[in-house]
Amino acid sequence: MSRIFGIDLGTTNSLIAAMEAGQPRVIADAVTGNALLPSVVALAPDGNVLVGDEAIAIEPHLSVERDGRVSAVDFPGGASGAVVRSVKRYMGRGGSELADEDRRRYTFTDVSGPVVRFQVGSRTYTPPQISAEILRALKLRAETALDGEKVERVVVTVPAYFNDGQRQATKDAGRLAGLEVVRLVNEPTAASLAYGLNQKAEGRVAVFDFGGGTFDISILNIKGGIFEVLATNGDTHLGGDDLDRVLIDALLEGVPVATRADRHVWNSARLVAEDAKKRLSVAERVELKLDLADRKIARTLTRAEFEGMAAPLIDRTLECCRRALADSSLSAREIDAVVLVGGSTRIPLVRRRVNEFFGREPLCTLDPDQVVALGAAVQASVLMGTQGDLLLLDVVPLSLGIETMGGVMERLIHRNTTIPTSTTEGFTTAVDNQTHVDVHVLQGERELAPDCRSLARFKLGPLDAQPAGVPRIEVTFLIDANGILNVTARDERTGREHSVDIKPSYGLTDDDIEQMLEESIDFGEQDIEQRLLIAARNDADQILTALEKQLREYGGLVDADERRRMAEVVGRVKLARQGEDRELLSKLVEELNEVTTPFAERIMDSAIKLALEKKSIEELA
Amino acid sequence: MIKCQSCAHVQEPRLLCAECGAPLGAPLDLFAALGLPRKLTLDPARLEQTYHDLGRRIHPDRFAGSAAILRDLSLRGTALLTRAYRTLRDPVTRGLYWLELNGHKLAENNKNVPGDLAEMVFEVQDQLAALREARDGRGAEVERLRGEVDERRAELHRMIEAALGELTQNFAHWDGERGDDAYVHDADSVNRDTLVNELKSILSKIAYLRTLIRDIDRELDSAQAA
Repeated sequence: MSRIFGIDLGTTNSLIAAMEAGQPRVIADAVTGNALLPSVVALAPDGNVLVGDEAIAIEPHLSVERDGRVSAVDFPGGASGAVVRSVKRYMGRGGSELADEDRRRYTFTDVSGPVVRFQVGSRTYTPPQISAEILRALKLRAETALDGEKVERVVVTVPAYFNDGQRQATKDAGRLAGLEVVRLVNEPTAASLAYGLNQKAEGRVAVFDFGGGTFDISILNIKGGIFEVLATNGDTHLGGDDLDRVLIDALLEGVPVATRADRHVWNSARLVAEDAKKRLSVAERVELKLDLADRKIARTLTRAEFEGMAAPLIDRTLECCRRALADSSLSAREIDAVVLVGGSTRIPLVRRRVNEFFGREPLCTLDPDQVVALGAAVQASVLMGTQGDLLLLDVVPLSLGIETMGGVMERLIHRNTTIPTSTTEGFTTAVDNQTHVDVHVLQGERELAPDCRSLARFKLGPLDAQPAGVPRIEVTFLIDANGILNVTARDERTGREHSVDIKPSYGLTDDDIEQMLEESIDFGEQDIEQRLLIAARNDADQILTALEKQLREYGGLVDADERRRMAEVVGRVKLARQGEDRELLSKLVEELNEVTTPFAERIMDSAIKLALEKKSIEELA
Repeated sequence: MIKCQSCAHVQEPRLLCAECGAPLGAPLDLFAALGLPRKLTLDPARLEQTYHDLGRRIHPDRFAGSAAILRDLSLRGTALLTRAYRTLRDPVTRGLYWLELNGHKLAENNKNVPGDLAEMVFEVQDQLAALREARDGRGAEVERLRGEVDERRAELHRMIEAALGELTQNFAHWDGERGDDAYVHDADSVNRDTLVNELKSILSKIAYLRTLIRDIDRELDSAQAA
């Protein structure tokens, strides 16, 4: 059976990793050598898709011309395209949950539906479809780097505090990318696996995972290869993005709201803010500069000022820590090790506050950007049966219950219960000859149903006509190892299984996904033009694959400048490769051929030289 | 008797097949799921060890590449094992479950305040109400009330500790005198009823104390949030 890969589908960056000789390794891009794939997806109105640095390159932004004029650079081929960042924030969310800021940055349709839909030209994209593009790019990256080894089965990590809908959306993304998601693993737990394997750690470990968009804290007990999560807490909308946002607000202070809402202005401000945030982890003060069409912004920001702005957000992470400790009945002093995960833990203030809170120096010996992907690869090997001694026992982050009479949430499975777990609840009818019983499943910690998040509704039945209270239906709520709910029902009297028709409150239905899959492989009637297009695409694939292989083997024969020029044309070929314009694609493939010809010649030369050398050695021998 | 779905070996109901180690999917009570005798006294270290040993063998991670039926049995078997561990690990839930197995279910959601706690319950409710009202007021007053509630919380914890001690002592007494499931058929029913009632009253007292602490925590949490 094929190997299982580990994927960290992050808010800011995504990675793919696998076990090599008993050690987890991140698989870097064969051309660029980058381990991180920016989770940025460019969607063109004609259906073109770009992922990663190539998407960032065409993100709308402001550009300062040579004469000092500031112009707005937009998506090539029409401003109705979208470059989506942090799509993870939209996973499992309904249209009604969008904030004003979201609507300023992107165009959405169907804002009342159970799933967010991005409008791009005449097309719409749901978050799982956009995430699927990131997964496809990772799959392609690994298959290229591993000489065509197929990536078919994966472990994907999710924030520990993801609810059922967010987890389901992540699984849907895998399915849409043509991947079998063998398991979803919680990010902090994955990180603990990587650390556990690396450091042979034992005892009580707190994993503080502060990423680009989400925050998780998990308290684990590691003992004899068993990684048992005692409690988890977090916030799925608290991360580096939010720190950027306070900096953007500071930067754009005094700028009219209409200007601020402009996508070009906002994106450029975001870049400046993110860069400043990163530099402040090392420097004591930074200069922030942003040229707008009507004004130039320049200000100095000290680390102390930034820390003042960041403090309320960091306080929120510590509040989560306090709750997680309370749920695990431990005090901060009883924790044996604290592990830092996620890019936002590079911020000195975060480290300081974590240190104060737990009363010990946190560990960050593994790269906080890579450790989750490494852990996912470890879990992949556990699932392949090659790490027989390791076992993860994770928990459900949020309580699960049903709405009862009067709109009260009755808890059936409490938060921090070890998964898989199940509970059985009896249901009956309220009036004579009732044919169906409606059940509303909720997730959350609040007392009243409307304050909890609706997870799904289902109908039990059809039931035989009987007096009220006579039918006895036993419903089993089972949360699997992915943290996803499964429901089965049985008639207590007859022992017969009941069908359960579940309607998820948020996210896609199976039918939606089937339809998306059909659309994505719908070739239908192909005319000549389409066949030619396919042939041109095959040509493009061939040259791209060959070039990547050559760069891998003879990378030393190209200098940085040449590499940049090649990468630039490669980007354009890839963009055209996904479009419908055959002539453009053929022209670009030709251009790529031209650009790479000197390189190919040098490879030939060196091969000949090598052959001659070899021959002369043989002659000497 | 139950037949293994994997190797067809027929055996006594248990969590895993004695022949091939596959999950059997047998209906088991929580003691049987862990392969333990139906005793109130349980060594926590041994319980955890048993749970981990069985968990390693039945967990869905071990059956990721198996047939769908085995994956499903593993999932359901693990859920049962986990429930068994969680229920039996805690002396209170273990006591309640044990009573239930022996046909003495404690009234669910027992709202009756145990007599010796009544006065304290009123005091706690008053304190919490005062804290709630003072929330918008001056910081010093809130701090003082919060301090009082914290103190009360600590006192409740001490009472729970004492009651738990009493409970576990009763466990030993009970198990020592009666052994496994023997007591159901015991002729000495008066003594048995006394012990069952003792057990019930300690259990409901602890349950009530825990509810009080939960109420306090909830109030402190929302005070924090405000």
